[in-house]
Amino acid sequence: MNRANTAFILDHYTHIITSVRDRLYRLALRVVNDADDAEDVVQDVLVKSWRQREKIVCLDNPPAWLMRMTKHQAIDRLRSAKVRSARETEAAAPDRDACTPYRIAAANDALGHVHRLLQQLPPDQRMVLHLREVEGMEYQEIADTTELSMQQVKTYLHRGRQKLRALLLKEKITNP
Amino acid sequence: MMTHSEAEILLHSYFEGTTSLEEETRLREYFRAGNVRADLAELDPLFAYWDEAANIVATPVKKTAKRRRLPLRWLSAAAAAVLLLFAAGNWFNQQPGLTDFPIAQAVSETKAKTIDWSKYEVTDPEEAYKVLRNALGTASAEMNRSARITVKEISAARNALR
Repeated sequence: MNRANTAFILDHYTHIITSVRDRLYRLALRVVNDADDAEDVVQDVLVKSWRQREKIVCLDNPPAWLMRMTKHQAIDRLRSAKVRSARETEAAAPDRDACTPYRIAAANDALGHVHRLLQQLPPDQRMVLHLREVEGMEYQEIADTTELSMQQVKTYLHRGRQKLRALLLKEKITNP
Repeated sequence: MMTHSEAEILLHSYFEGTTSLEEETRLREYFRAGNVRADLAELDPLFAYWDEAANIVATPVKKTAKRRRLPLRWLSAAAAAVLLLFAAGNWFNQQPGLTDFPIAQAVSETKAKTIDWSKYEVTDPEEAYKVLRNALGTASAEMNRSARITVKEISAARNALR
């Protein structure tokens, strides 16, 4: 591989990562619900993706590939965190990232309620809702990222929105 | 600007999961504008939450200071110079030096046994003092010389590292 080709791959890869990093973080955060863990997930994904950069730059849709990787990594992290927390005592303070924008948003009364209601949804529904509402992704992109069928994506989105509205109305939350 | 009744119709489709991304963007703008009809206001926190979530960004990557590269070429040159100095020092040390005493290896063992070493023994205290002073002077000069060499080598290495 010549030097020009290596430089092209590096340049292209850097551009992809720069454009997608925030999205990866938000997705990881949605799954693991912890800022530090989300950062770790993204870091792991970036390290793994660096090893496969030559493959990534040749993909049709590198962001979708990276999002899928992030989803897997975040789910693994969540599972290991559950195992860990089951073993550990409950001595640790539950809120370690009080200053992140995510927690600041959650601390706001009305938005905090929505956040808690969202956490009541099954993980797949939550993830589909996130990709649509926050990232503004098309159904096909969501299907590619979540590895669900288009029909499943539509169903989860429909159910997720319905459930959220029902919970909102039940609790009569209003924005201050 | 979307009317309240348009928003109501779009919201119905939204919860049915049949809106397009463009329609969802318009809905979001409707809620963002703040002039929401009272009966739709209960959904305000939901759209506000999505807006808030979309603004979350990863912690910026801290740019680490550029690592200072070691001047390997200069270090190699300095290491080679030090090695040469050591080699030269060893070579000089191994050379047979001039001595006032007969060389033990140069005579046969039988002859060596016959040498009367007592005649070389210093008996005069003044001469003994001179010999001692000479010996100490030589040792001192050699020690000073090695210190100078060390200082010189250290400053050469330091210059090479700059």
